[in-house]
Amino acid sequence: VGARWRPVTFFLALPSLVVFVGLGFIPLVLTATWSFQTFDPDTYWIKPAWSLASYAALLESGRATVFLRTAGLAALTTTVCTLLAVPAATVVGLLSGPRRAALLLALFTLPFFTSGLVRAFAWRLVLGRQGIINNALMSLGIVQTPVEWLLFSDFAVVLGMVAAYLPFAIIPIVLAFARIEHSVIRASQDLGAGFWTMFSTIVLPLVMPGIVAGFLFVFVVAVGTSMEIQLLGGAGASSISIMITDVLRVVNFPLAFAIATVVVTLLIVLIIVANRALRLSRLFESLGI
Amino acid sequence: MNFDVIVTGRTGGGRLLLTTITVLCLTIMYAPVLYLLLASLNPDVQLGLVPPSRFSLTWYFALLEDRRLARALEESALVGLATAALATPIGLSAALAYRAMTRMRGIFLLVVISAMLVPGTIEGIGLSAILRALGLAPSWVTITIGHLLWTLPFAAVVSLIGLSAVRPSTIAAARDLGAGPMRAFVDITLPLMRGNLISSFIFAFLLSLNEHARAYYLVGRQNTLPLYMFGAMNSGASPTIYAFSGAVIVISGAVVAVVFAGLAGQPSAGRYERPPRPAD
Repeated sequence: VGARWRPVTFFLALPSLVVFVGLGFIPLVLTATWSFQTFDPDTYWIKPAWSLASYAALLESGRATVFLRTAGLAALTTTVCTLLAVPAATVVGLLSGPRRAALLLALFTLPFFTSGLVRAFAWRLVLGRQGIINNALMSLGIVQTPVEWLLFSDFAVVLGMVAAYLPFAIIPIVLAFARIEHSVIRASQDLGAGFWTMFSTIVLPLVMPGIVAGFLFVFVVAVGTSMEIQLLGGAGASSISIMITDVLRVVNFPLAFAIATVVVTLLIVLIIVANRALRLSRLFESLGI
Repeated sequence: MNFDVIVTGRTGGGRLLLTTITVLCLTIMYAPVLYLLLASLNPDVQLGLVPPSRFSLTWYFALLEDRRLARALEESALVGLATAALATPIGLSAALAYRAMTRMRGIFLLVVISAMLVPGTIEGIGLSAILRALGLAPSWVTITIGHLLWTLPFAAVVSLIGLSAVRPSTIAAARDLGAGPMRAFVDITLPLMRGNLISSFIFAFLLSLNEHARAYYLVGRQNTLPLYMFGAMNSGASPTIYAFSGAVIVISGAVVAVVFAGLAGQPSAGRYERPPRPAD
Protein backbone atom coordinates (compact mmCIF):
# COMPACT_ATOMS: atom_id res chain seq x y z
CA VAL A 1 0.00 0.00 0.00
CA GLY A 2 1.53 3.23 -1.19
CA ALA A 3 2.31 5.82 1.41
CA ARG A 4 0.90 8.52 -0.85
CA TRP A 5 -2.53 6.97 -1.13
CA ARG A 6 -5.10 9.24 0.35
CA PRO A 7 -7.17 7.62 3.13
CA VAL A 8 -10.33 7.83 0.98
CA THR A 9 -8.68 5.85 -1.79
CA PHE A 10 -7.56 3.28 0.73
CA PHE A 11 -11.05 2.85 2.16
CA LEU A 12 -12.52 2.56 -1.33
CA ALA A 13 -10.01 -0.12 -2.26
CA LEU A 14 -10.38 -1.94 1.05
CA PRO A 15 -13.51 -4.08 0.42
CA SER A 16 -12.23 -5.46 -2.88
CA LEU A 17 -8.76 -6.03 -1.44
CA VAL A 18 -10.33 -7.96 1.46
CA VAL A 19 -12.08 -10.19 -1.08
CA PHE A 20 -9.11 -10.68 -3.40
CA VAL A 21 -6.51 -11.09 -0.67
CA GLY A 22 -8.63 -12.69 2.05
CA LEU A 23 -10.70 -15.04 -0.11
CA GLY A 24 -8.35 -15.43 -3.06
CA PHE A 25 -4.73 -15.02 -2.10
CA ILE A 26 -4.61 -16.26 1.50
CA PRO A 27 -6.36 -19.59 0.74
CA LEU A 28 -3.87 -20.19 -2.07
CA VAL A 29 -0.94 -19.46 0.24
CA LEU A 30 -2.36 -21.69 2.99
CA THR A 31 -3.03 -24.57 0.62
CA ALA A 32 0.52 -24.17 -0.70
CA THR A 33 1.77 -24.42 2.90
CA TRP A 34 -0.40 -27.44 3.67
CA SER A 35 0.85 -29.17 0.54
CA PHE A 36 4.22 -29.53 2.30
CA GLN A 37 2.62 -31.23 5.32
CA THR A 38 1.32 -34.70 6.02
CA PHE A 39 -2.10 -36.29 5.92
CA ASP A 40 -3.36 -37.27 9.37
CA PRO A 41 -5.54 -40.42 9.24
CA ASP A 42 -6.83 -39.76 12.79
CA THR A 43 -8.46 -36.40 12.05
CA TYR A 44 -8.89 -36.79 8.27
CA TRP A 45 -7.02 -33.52 7.99
CA ILE A 46 -3.41 -32.38 7.96
CA LYS A 47 -0.80 -32.56 10.70
CA PRO A 48 2.11 -30.14 10.85
CA ALA A 49 4.84 -32.60 9.91
CA TRP A 50 6.85 -31.19 7.02
CA SER A 51 7.30 -33.48 4.08
CA LEU A 52 7.81 -33.47 0.34
CA ALA A 53 5.85 -36.71 -0.01
CA SER A 54 3.01 -35.02 -1.95
CA TYR A 55 5.43 -33.65 -4.51
CA ALA A 56 7.06 -37.05 -4.89
CA ALA A 57 3.58 -38.53 -5.39
CA LEU A 58 3.01 -36.01 -8.19
CA LEU A 59 5.46 -37.93 -10.30
CA GLU A 60 3.84 -41.28 -9.61
CA SER A 61 1.07 -43.25 -11.31
CA GLY A 62 0.81 -41.28 -14.52
CA ARG A 63 0.10 -37.91 -12.87
CA ALA A 64 2.71 -36.18 -15.01
CA THR A 65 0.91 -37.56 -18.07
CA VAL A 66 -2.34 -35.92 -16.94
CA PHE A 67 -0.50 -32.61 -16.58
CA LEU A 68 0.96 -32.91 -20.06
CA ARG A 69 -2.33 -34.04 -21.62
CA THR A 70 -4.23 -31.17 -20.01
CA ALA A 71 -1.64 -28.67 -21.20
CA GLY A 72 -1.62 -30.27 -24.66
CA LEU A 73 -5.41 -30.13 -25.10
CA ALA A 74 -5.41 -26.56 -23.77
CA ALA A 75 -2.64 -25.57 -26.20
CA LEU A 76 -4.50 -27.12 -29.14
CA THR A 77 -7.74 -25.39 -28.10
CA THR A 78 -5.91 -22.09 -27.70
CA THR A 79 -4.26 -22.35 -31.12
CA VAL A 80 -7.57 -23.04 -32.86
CA CYS A 81 -9.26 -20.22 -30.90
CA THR A 82 -6.55 -17.76 -31.90
CA LEU A 83 -6.70 -18.75 -35.58
CA LEU A 84 -10.46 -18.13 -35.53
CA ALA A 85 -10.37 -15.08 -33.27
CA VAL A 86 -7.96 -12.93 -35.30
CA PRO A 87 -10.23 -12.91 -38.40
CA ALA A 88 -13.37 -12.46 -36.28
CA ALA A 89 -11.85 -9.53 -34.37
CA THR A 90 -10.63 -8.05 -37.66
CA VAL A 91 -14.18 -8.05 -39.00
CA VAL A 92 -15.28 -6.16 -35.88
CA GLY A 93 -12.31 -3.80 -35.83
CA LEU A 94 -11.68 -3.05 -39.50
CA LEU A 95 -14.60 -4.02 -41.66
CA SER A 96 -17.72 -3.15 -39.66
CA GLY A 97 -19.61 0.04 -39.02
CA PRO A 98 -20.51 0.97 -35.44
CA ARG A 99 -23.86 -0.84 -35.47
CA ARG A 100 -22.57 -4.13 -36.82
CA ALA A 101 -19.49 -3.96 -34.58
CA ALA A 102 -21.73 -3.55 -31.53
CA LEU A 103 -23.99 -6.40 -32.63
CA LEU A 104 -21.06 -8.76 -33.25
CA LEU A 105 -19.46 -7.84 -29.93
CA ALA A 106 -22.76 -8.54 -28.17
CA LEU A 107 -23.06 -11.90 -29.95
CA PHE A 108 -19.51 -12.81 -28.98
CA THR A 109 -20.03 -11.85 -25.33
CA LEU A 110 -23.55 -13.17 -24.72
CA PRO A 111 -22.72 -16.90 -24.40
CA PHE A 112 -20.33 -16.09 -21.58
CA PHE A 113 -23.29 -15.31 -19.32
CA THR A 114 -25.20 -18.45 -20.17
CA SER A 115 -24.63 -21.88 -18.74
CA GLY A 116 -21.35 -23.47 -19.82
CA LEU A 117 -22.78 -26.82 -18.79
CA VAL A 118 -25.65 -26.52 -21.24
CA ARG A 119 -23.39 -25.31 -24.05
CA ALA A 120 -21.08 -28.32 -23.57
CA PHE A 121 -24.03 -30.68 -23.20
CA ALA A 122 -25.58 -29.41 -26.45
CA TRP A 123 -22.63 -30.84 -28.39
CA ARG A 124 -23.79 -34.32 -27.42
CA LEU A 125 -26.88 -33.80 -29.55
CA VAL A 126 -24.78 -32.62 -32.47
CA LEU A 127 -21.96 -35.15 -32.32
CA GLY A 128 -23.66 -38.26 -30.92
CA ARG A 129 -24.48 -41.49 -32.74
CA GLN A 130 -27.90 -40.09 -33.59
CA GLY A 131 -26.70 -36.48 -33.73
CA ILE A 132 -27.23 -34.16 -36.68
CA ILE A 133 -23.78 -34.79 -38.13
CA ASN A 134 -24.04 -38.58 -38.11
CA ASN A 135 -27.62 -38.46 -39.38
CA ALA A 136 -26.58 -36.20 -42.24
CA LEU A 137 -23.55 -38.33 -43.14
CA MET A 138 -25.66 -41.51 -43.12
CA SER A 139 -28.59 -40.14 -45.10
CA LEU A 140 -26.15 -38.82 -47.70
CA GLY A 141 -24.66 -42.30 -47.85
CA ILE A 142 -21.16 -41.06 -46.99
CA VAL A 143 -20.87 -43.52 -44.11
CA GLN A 144 -22.85 -46.69 -43.38
CA THR A 145 -22.45 -46.76 -39.61
CA PRO A 146 -22.28 -43.73 -37.27
CA VAL A 147 -18.84 -42.13 -36.94
CA GLU A 148 -17.79 -43.01 -33.39
CA TRP A 149 -14.91 -40.65 -32.78
CA LEU A 150 -17.08 -37.54 -33.02
CA LEU A 151 -18.30 -37.78 -29.43
CA PHE A 152 -16.61 -38.89 -26.19
CA SER A 153 -13.24 -38.13 -27.73
CA ASP A 154 -10.51 -35.49 -27.63
CA PHE A 155 -12.06 -34.09 -30.80
CA ALA A 156 -15.33 -33.37 -28.99
CA VAL A 157 -13.49 -31.91 -26.00
CA VAL A 158 -11.44 -29.51 -28.12
CA LEU A 159 -14.46 -28.50 -30.21
CA GLY A 160 -16.50 -27.86 -27.04
CA MET A 161 -13.70 -25.81 -25.49
CA VAL A 162 -13.07 -23.80 -28.67
CA ALA A 163 -16.76 -22.90 -28.92
CA ALA A 164 -16.88 -22.02 -25.22
CA TYR A 165 -13.70 -19.95 -24.98
CA LEU A 166 -13.63 -18.10 -28.31
CA PRO A 167 -14.89 -14.89 -26.62
CA PHE A 168 -11.80 -14.88 -24.36
CA ALA A 169 -9.63 -14.79 -27.50
CA ILE A 170 -11.76 -12.36 -29.51
CA ILE A 171 -12.43 -9.61 -26.94
CA PRO A 172 -8.77 -8.74 -26.16
CA ILE A 173 -8.00 -8.51 -29.89
CA VAL A 174 -11.02 -6.24 -30.40
CA LEU A 175 -9.73 -4.06 -27.55
CA ALA A 176 -6.37 -3.88 -29.32
CA PHE A 177 -8.10 -2.87 -32.57
CA ALA A 178 -9.82 -0.01 -30.77
CA ARG A 179 -6.38 1.49 -30.05
CA ILE A 180 -5.29 1.61 -33.68
CA GLU A 181 -5.14 5.07 -35.23
CA HIS A 182 -7.27 4.96 -38.36
CA SER A 183 -4.93 7.38 -40.11
CA VAL A 184 -2.11 4.83 -40.00
CA ILE A 185 -4.17 2.42 -42.06
CA ARG A 186 -5.41 5.11 -44.43
CA ALA A 187 -1.81 6.26 -44.92
CA SER A 188 -0.66 2.75 -45.86
CA GLN A 189 -3.45 2.51 -48.37
CA ASP A 190 -2.66 5.91 -49.81
CA LEU A 191 0.88 4.68 -50.30
CA GLY A 192 -0.52 1.79 -52.34
CA ALA A 193 -0.46 -1.12 -49.90
CA GLY A 194 -3.04 -3.80 -50.72
CA PHE A 195 -5.28 -5.27 -48.03
CA TRP A 196 -3.03 -8.20 -47.17
CA THR A 197 0.17 -6.10 -47.09
CA MET A 198 -1.53 -3.60 -44.83
CA PHE A 199 -2.94 -6.43 -42.68
CA SER A 200 0.35 -8.23 -42.19
CA THR A 201 2.71 -5.27 -41.86
CA ILE A 202 0.54 -2.73 -40.01
CA VAL A 203 -2.45 -4.37 -38.37
CA LEU A 204 -1.00 -7.64 -37.06
CA PRO A 205 1.94 -6.05 -35.22
CA LEU A 206 -0.37 -3.43 -33.69
CA VAL A 207 -2.88 -5.97 -32.36
CA MET A 208 -0.23 -8.51 -31.31
CA PRO A 209 -0.59 -7.64 -27.59
CA GLY A 210 -4.31 -8.45 -27.86
CA ILE A 211 -3.60 -11.71 -29.66
CA VAL A 212 -1.14 -12.81 -27.00
CA ALA A 213 -3.48 -11.71 -24.20
CA GLY A 214 -6.30 -13.71 -25.76
CA PHE A 215 -4.01 -16.69 -26.19
CA LEU A 216 -3.08 -16.46 -22.52
CA PHE A 217 -6.68 -16.09 -21.33
CA VAL A 218 -7.91 -19.09 -23.33
CA PHE A 219 -4.97 -21.24 -22.31
CA VAL A 220 -5.38 -20.47 -18.62
CA VAL A 221 -9.13 -21.09 -18.66
CA ALA A 222 -8.76 -24.28 -20.73
CA VAL A 223 -6.15 -25.66 -18.32
CA GLY A 224 -8.50 -25.10 -15.38
CA THR A 225 -11.75 -26.45 -16.79
CA SER A 226 -13.12 -29.95 -16.32
CA MET A 227 -16.70 -29.62 -17.57
CA GLU A 228 -16.00 -30.26 -21.28
CA ILE A 229 -13.87 -33.30 -20.51
CA GLN A 230 -16.46 -34.71 -18.11
CA LEU A 231 -19.34 -34.22 -20.55
CA LEU A 232 -17.64 -34.81 -23.91
CA GLY A 233 -14.42 -36.71 -23.19
CA GLY A 234 -13.86 -40.41 -23.61
CA ALA A 235 -14.07 -42.96 -20.82
CA GLY A 236 -11.16 -42.47 -18.44
CA ALA A 237 -10.26 -39.08 -19.91
CA SER A 238 -8.73 -36.97 -17.19
CA SER A 239 -7.55 -33.45 -16.62
CA ILE A 240 -5.83 -31.63 -13.80
CA SER A 241 -9.14 -30.51 -12.28
CA ILE A 242 -10.62 -34.02 -12.49
CA MET A 243 -7.44 -35.41 -10.91
CA ILE A 244 -7.79 -32.97 -8.01
CA THR A 245 -11.39 -34.10 -7.48
CA ASP A 246 -10.35 -37.75 -7.58
CA VAL A 247 -7.54 -37.21 -5.10
CA LEU A 248 -9.92 -35.38 -2.75
CA ARG A 249 -12.39 -38.25 -2.97
CA VAL A 250 -9.83 -40.33 -1.08
CA VAL A 251 -9.27 -37.30 1.19
CA ASN A 252 -5.59 -36.96 0.27
CA PHE A 253 -5.57 -33.23 1.00
CA PRO A 254 -1.81 -32.61 0.80
CA LEU A 255 -1.60 -34.17 -2.66
CA ALA A 256 -4.61 -32.19 -3.95
CA PHE A 257 -3.05 -29.01 -2.56
CA ALA A 258 0.30 -29.88 -4.16
CA ILE A 259 -1.34 -30.25 -7.58
CA ALA A 260 -3.17 -26.94 -7.08
CA THR A 261 0.02 -25.22 -5.97
CA VAL A 262 1.98 -26.38 -9.01
CA VAL A 263 -0.78 -25.21 -11.36
CA VAL A 264 -1.22 -21.82 -9.68
CA THR A 265 2.53 -21.22 -9.57
CA LEU A 266 2.87 -21.94 -13.28
CA LEU A 267 -0.14 -19.74 -14.11
CA ILE A 268 1.21 -16.84 -12.01
CA VAL A 269 4.59 -17.07 -13.75
CA LEU A 270 2.81 -17.08 -17.11
CA ILE A 271 0.71 -14.01 -16.24
CA ILE A 272 3.68 -12.07 -14.85
CA VAL A 273 5.85 -12.82 -17.87
CA ALA A 274 3.06 -11.85 -20.27
CA ASN A 275 2.36 -8.68 -18.32
CA ARG A 276 6.04 -7.70 -18.34
CA ALA A 277 6.30 -8.31 -22.05
CA LEU A 278 3.02 -6.76 -23.13
CA ARG A 279 1.71 -4.51 -20.36
CA LEU A 280 -1.62 -6.35 -20.37
CA SER A 281 -3.25 -3.66 -18.29
CA ARG A 282 -2.75 -1.23 -21.22
CA LEU A 283 -5.33 -3.21 -23.19
CA PHE A 284 -8.03 -2.14 -20.80
CA GLU A 285 -7.35 1.49 -21.65
CA SER A 286 -9.40 0.87 -24.82
CA LEU A 287 -12.40 0.50 -22.58
CA GLY A 288 -11.67 4.03 -21.42
CA ILE A 289 -10.77 2.93 -17.89
CA MET B 1 -15.01 2.09 -27.77
CA ASN B 2 -16.06 3.47 -31.06
CA PHE B 3 -15.71 1.45 -34.19
CA ASP B 4 -16.01 2.62 -37.72
CA VAL B 5 -15.47 1.01 -41.07
CA ILE B 6 -11.78 1.64 -41.59
CA VAL B 7 -11.15 -0.45 -44.65
CA THR B 8 -13.32 0.18 -47.66
CA GLY B 9 -12.81 -0.87 -51.24
CA ARG B 10 -10.92 -3.88 -52.54
CA THR B 11 -9.57 -6.37 -50.05
CA GLY B 12 -8.19 -9.08 -52.34
CA GLY B 13 -10.66 -11.66 -51.06
CA GLY B 14 -9.92 -10.65 -47.47
CA ARG B 15 -13.43 -9.49 -46.69
CA LEU B 16 -14.91 -12.76 -47.94
CA LEU B 17 -12.42 -14.97 -46.08
CA LEU B 18 -12.60 -13.08 -42.78
CA THR B 19 -16.39 -12.86 -42.89
CA THR B 20 -16.63 -16.59 -43.58
CA ILE B 21 -14.48 -17.37 -40.54
CA THR B 22 -16.57 -15.01 -38.40
CA VAL B 23 -19.73 -16.82 -39.50
CA LEU B 24 -18.01 -20.12 -38.64
CA CYS B 25 -17.20 -18.78 -35.16
CA LEU B 26 -20.80 -17.72 -34.57
CA THR B 27 -22.01 -21.08 -35.89
CA ILE B 28 -19.99 -23.18 -33.48
CA MET B 29 -20.93 -20.83 -30.63
CA TYR B 30 -24.66 -20.82 -31.31
CA ALA B 31 -25.70 -23.75 -33.51
CA PRO B 32 -25.50 -26.56 -30.92
CA VAL B 33 -27.52 -24.59 -28.38
CA LEU B 34 -30.14 -23.58 -30.95
CA TYR B 35 -30.41 -27.21 -32.02
CA LEU B 36 -30.88 -28.22 -28.39
CA LEU B 37 -33.67 -25.64 -28.06
CA LEU B 38 -35.49 -27.05 -31.08
CA ALA B 39 -34.96 -30.63 -29.91
CA SER B 40 -36.43 -29.73 -26.51
CA LEU B 41 -39.73 -28.93 -28.27
CA ASN B 42 -40.03 -32.55 -29.40
CA PRO B 43 -42.97 -34.12 -27.49
CA ASP B 44 -41.67 -37.69 -27.99
CA VAL B 45 -39.25 -39.54 -25.76
CA GLN B 46 -37.18 -40.24 -28.87
CA LEU B 47 -34.46 -37.64 -29.39
CA GLY B 48 -34.37 -35.46 -32.47
CA LEU B 49 -36.20 -32.78 -34.40
CA VAL B 50 -39.89 -32.85 -35.25
CA PRO B 51 -41.68 -30.64 -37.78
CA PRO B 52 -42.71 -27.25 -36.31
CA SER B 53 -46.38 -28.29 -36.43
CA ARG B 54 -45.63 -30.85 -33.71
CA PHE B 55 -43.63 -28.51 -31.47
CA SER B 56 -44.82 -28.82 -27.91
CA LEU B 57 -43.89 -27.62 -24.46
CA THR B 58 -44.70 -31.01 -22.89
CA TRP B 59 -41.30 -31.42 -21.26
CA TYR B 60 -41.25 -27.82 -20.06
CA PHE B 61 -44.50 -28.44 -18.20
CA ALA B 62 -43.03 -31.64 -16.80
CA LEU B 63 -40.29 -29.46 -15.24
CA LEU B 64 -42.85 -27.72 -13.07
CA GLU B 65 -43.52 -31.03 -11.34
CA ASP B 66 -39.88 -31.58 -10.45
CA ARG B 67 -39.54 -30.68 -6.76
CA ARG B 68 -35.77 -31.26 -6.60
CA LEU B 69 -35.27 -28.95 -9.55
CA ALA B 70 -37.40 -26.28 -7.88
CA ARG B 71 -35.37 -26.48 -4.67
CA ALA B 72 -32.08 -26.29 -6.62
CA LEU B 73 -33.41 -23.24 -8.45
CA GLU B 74 -34.40 -21.58 -5.16
CA GLU B 75 -30.94 -22.23 -3.73
CA SER B 76 -29.25 -20.84 -6.85
CA ALA B 77 -31.48 -17.76 -6.86
CA LEU B 78 -30.65 -17.11 -3.21
CA VAL B 79 -26.90 -17.47 -3.81
CA GLY B 80 -27.08 -15.41 -7.01
CA LEU B 81 -28.97 -12.52 -5.41
CA ALA B 82 -26.68 -12.46 -2.37
CA THR B 83 -23.60 -12.59 -4.62
CA ALA B 84 -24.85 -9.80 -6.89
CA ALA B 85 -25.89 -7.64 -3.91
CA LEU B 86 -22.33 -7.87 -2.56
CA ALA B 87 -20.35 -7.80 -5.81
CA THR B 88 -22.05 -4.69 -7.24
CA PRO B 89 -21.22 -2.19 -4.44
CA ILE B 90 -17.78 -3.72 -3.81
CA GLY B 91 -17.04 -3.60 -7.54
CA LEU B 92 -18.14 0.03 -7.61
CA SER B 93 -15.87 0.92 -4.70
CA ALA B 94 -12.98 -0.88 -6.42
CA ALA B 95 -13.65 1.16 -9.57
CA LEU B 96 -13.75 4.42 -7.59
CA ALA B 97 -10.51 3.46 -5.84
CA TYR B 98 -8.87 2.73 -9.19
CA ARG B 99 -9.96 6.13 -10.49
CA ALA B 100 -8.58 7.87 -7.40
CA MET B 101 -5.27 6.03 -7.42
CA THR B 102 -2.17 7.84 -8.50
CA ARG B 103 0.22 4.92 -8.08
CA MET B 104 0.01 1.18 -8.53
CA ARG B 105 -3.02 1.34 -10.80
CA GLY B 106 -1.44 -1.28 -13.05
CA ILE B 107 -0.91 -3.69 -10.16
CA PHE B 108 -4.45 -3.14 -8.84
CA LEU B 109 -5.89 -3.90 -12.28
CA LEU B 110 -3.64 -6.93 -12.64
CA VAL B 111 -4.92 -8.29 -9.30
CA VAL B 112 -8.50 -7.82 -10.53
CA ILE B 113 -7.77 -9.57 -13.84
CA SER B 114 -5.77 -12.39 -12.26
CA ALA B 115 -8.72 -13.22 -10.03
CA MET B 116 -10.68 -14.05 -13.19
CA LEU B 117 -8.03 -16.54 -14.23
CA VAL B 118 -7.56 -18.82 -11.20
CA PRO B 119 -9.18 -22.17 -12.07
CA GLY B 120 -12.52 -22.67 -10.31
CA THR B 121 -11.57 -26.06 -8.90
CA ILE B 122 -8.49 -24.62 -7.24
CA GLU B 123 -10.32 -21.59 -5.84
CA GLY B 124 -12.99 -24.00 -4.64
CA ILE B 125 -10.71 -26.37 -2.73
CA GLY B 126 -8.67 -23.48 -1.30
CA LEU B 127 -11.76 -21.71 0.01
CA SER B 128 -13.41 -24.87 1.30
CA ALA B 129 -10.22 -25.76 3.22
CA ILE B 130 -10.09 -22.29 4.80
CA LEU B 131 -13.78 -22.17 5.65
CA ARG B 132 -13.53 -25.64 7.10
CA ALA B 133 -10.54 -24.60 9.21
CA LEU B 134 -12.57 -21.58 10.37
CA GLY B 135 -15.39 -23.93 11.33
CA LEU B 136 -17.92 -22.51 8.85
CA ALA B 137 -20.26 -25.31 7.75
CA PRO B 138 -20.94 -25.51 4.01
CA SER B 139 -24.22 -23.85 3.04
CA TRP B 140 -25.50 -21.18 0.68
CA VAL B 141 -23.28 -18.74 2.59
CA THR B 142 -20.07 -20.57 1.67
CA ILE B 143 -21.13 -20.77 -2.00
CA THR B 144 -21.89 -17.04 -1.92
CA ILE B 145 -18.40 -16.35 -0.57
CA GLY B 146 -16.88 -18.36 -3.44
CA HIS B 147 -19.10 -16.68 -6.00
CA LEU B 148 -18.26 -13.22 -4.69
CA LEU B 149 -14.60 -13.93 -5.45
CA TRP B 150 -15.58 -15.20 -8.92
CA THR B 151 -17.91 -12.34 -9.91
CA LEU B 152 -16.17 -9.35 -8.32
CA PRO B 153 -13.62 -8.84 -11.15
CA PHE B 154 -16.43 -8.65 -13.70
CA ALA B 155 -18.48 -6.31 -11.54
CA ALA B 156 -15.42 -4.09 -11.08
CA VAL B 157 -14.71 -3.93 -14.82
CA VAL B 158 -18.35 -3.08 -15.65
CA SER B 159 -18.25 -0.31 -13.02
CA LEU B 160 -14.94 0.96 -14.37
CA ILE B 161 -16.44 1.24 -17.85
CA GLY B 162 -19.43 3.09 -16.39
CA LEU B 163 -17.18 5.40 -14.43
CA SER B 164 -15.33 6.33 -17.60
CA ALA B 165 -18.59 7.88 -18.81
CA VAL B 166 -18.48 10.34 -15.93
CA ARG B 167 -16.44 13.32 -17.03
CA PRO B 168 -14.14 14.69 -14.34
CA SER B 169 -15.23 18.19 -15.39
CA THR B 170 -18.86 17.37 -14.54
CA ILE B 171 -17.80 16.45 -11.02
CA ALA B 172 -15.58 19.51 -10.82
CA ALA B 173 -18.51 21.69 -11.85
CA ALA B 174 -20.67 20.20 -9.11
CA ARG B 175 -17.90 20.80 -6.59
CA ASP B 176 -17.48 24.41 -7.77
CA LEU B 177 -21.18 24.93 -7.21
CA GLY B 178 -20.66 23.91 -3.60
CA ALA B 179 -21.52 20.19 -3.56
CA GLY B 180 -19.49 18.13 -1.13
CA PRO B 181 -17.79 14.95 -2.41
CA MET B 182 -20.66 12.81 -1.12
CA ARG B 183 -23.33 15.03 -2.68
CA ALA B 184 -21.48 15.03 -6.02
CA PHE B 185 -21.23 11.23 -5.88
CA VAL B 186 -24.91 10.70 -5.08
CA ASP B 187 -26.31 13.36 -7.44
CA ILE B 188 -23.90 13.13 -10.38
CA THR B 189 -21.81 9.94 -10.44
CA LEU B 190 -24.46 7.43 -9.37
CA PRO B 191 -27.20 8.55 -11.79
CA LEU B 192 -24.72 8.59 -14.70
CA MET B 193 -23.64 5.05 -13.82
CA ARG B 194 -27.10 3.66 -13.23
CA GLY B 195 -27.15 1.48 -16.36
CA ASN B 196 -23.75 -0.01 -15.61
CA LEU B 197 -24.63 -0.74 -12.00
CA ILE B 198 -27.76 -2.59 -13.10
CA SER B 199 -25.70 -4.54 -15.66
CA SER B 200 -23.09 -5.28 -13.03
CA PHE B 201 -25.78 -6.71 -10.74
CA ILE B 202 -27.36 -8.82 -13.48
CA PHE B 203 -24.04 -10.12 -14.82
CA ALA B 204 -22.90 -11.09 -11.32
CA PHE B 205 -26.22 -12.85 -10.76
CA LEU B 206 -25.97 -14.81 -14.04
CA LEU B 207 -22.31 -15.72 -13.53
CA SER B 208 -23.20 -17.05 -10.09
CA LEU B 209 -26.32 -18.83 -11.36
CA ASN B 210 -24.29 -20.80 -13.91
CA GLU B 211 -21.16 -21.44 -11.83
CA HIS B 212 -20.35 -25.09 -11.20
CA ALA B 213 -16.69 -25.77 -10.30
CA ARG B 214 -16.52 -23.66 -7.11
CA ALA B 215 -20.01 -24.58 -5.96
CA TYR B 216 -19.06 -28.26 -6.19
CA TYR B 217 -16.64 -27.84 -3.28
CA LEU B 218 -18.57 -25.27 -1.27
CA VAL B 219 -22.07 -26.72 -1.43
CA GLY B 220 -23.92 -27.85 1.68
CA ARG B 221 -26.84 -30.25 1.67
CA GLN B 222 -28.92 -28.43 -0.91
CA ASN B 223 -27.64 -28.58 -4.51
CA THR B 224 -27.52 -25.51 -6.71
CA LEU B 225 -28.96 -25.59 -10.22
CA PRO B 226 -25.72 -26.38 -12.14
CA LEU B 227 -24.85 -29.16 -9.68
CA TYR B 228 -28.30 -30.66 -10.10
CA MET B 229 -28.07 -30.30 -13.89
CA PHE B 230 -24.64 -31.87 -14.06
CA GLY B 231 -25.91 -34.88 -12.15
CA ALA B 232 -28.95 -35.21 -14.42
CA MET B 233 -26.85 -34.83 -17.59
CA ASN B 234 -24.58 -37.67 -16.60
CA SER B 235 -27.30 -40.06 -15.45
CA GLY B 236 -29.23 -41.21 -18.49
CA ALA B 237 -31.03 -38.91 -20.88
CA SER B 238 -34.53 -37.99 -19.81
CA PRO B 239 -36.10 -35.46 -22.19
CA THR B 240 -36.65 -33.09 -19.28
CA ILE B 241 -32.90 -32.43 -19.29
CA TYR B 242 -33.28 -30.80 -22.69
CA ALA B 243 -36.20 -28.77 -21.44
CA PHE B 244 -34.39 -27.34 -18.43
CA SER B 245 -31.24 -26.78 -20.48
CA GLY B 246 -33.45 -24.91 -22.92
CA ALA B 247 -35.11 -22.92 -20.15
CA VAL B 248 -31.77 -21.91 -18.62
CA ILE B 249 -30.43 -20.77 -22.00
CA VAL B 250 -33.55 -18.87 -23.03
CA ILE B 251 -33.87 -17.05 -19.70
CA SER B 252 -30.22 -16.07 -19.31
CA GLY B 253 -29.88 -15.24 -23.03
CA ALA B 254 -32.95 -13.02 -22.95
CA VAL B 255 -31.79 -11.21 -19.82
CA VAL B 256 -28.33 -10.50 -21.28
CA ALA B 257 -29.85 -9.37 -24.58
CA VAL B 258 -32.08 -6.90 -22.71
CA VAL B 259 -29.08 -5.61 -20.73
CA PHE B 260 -27.00 -5.18 -23.90
CA ALA B 261 -29.85 -3.37 -25.64
CA GLY B 262 -30.21 -1.12 -22.60
CA LEU B 263 -26.47 -0.35 -22.50
CA ALA B 264 -26.41 0.40 -26.23
CA GLY B 265 -29.36 2.77 -25.95
CA GLN B 266 -28.03 4.49 -22.86
CA PRO B 267 -27.98 8.28 -23.20
CA SER B 268 -24.35 9.27 -23.40
CA ALA B 269 -24.80 12.34 -21.20
CA GLY B 270 -21.48 13.24 -19.73
CA ARG B 271 -19.65 10.84 -22.04
CA TYR B 272 -16.62 12.31 -23.66
CA GLU B 273 -17.66 13.34 -27.14
CA ARG B 274 -16.17 15.49 -29.82
CA PRO B 275 -18.05 18.75 -30.25
CA PRO B 276 -20.12 18.76 -33.45
CA ARG B 277 -18.46 20.29 -36.45
CA PRO B 278 -19.70 23.75 -37.32
CA ALA B 279 -21.82 23.72 -40.45
CA ASP B 280 -20.01 24.91 -43.55
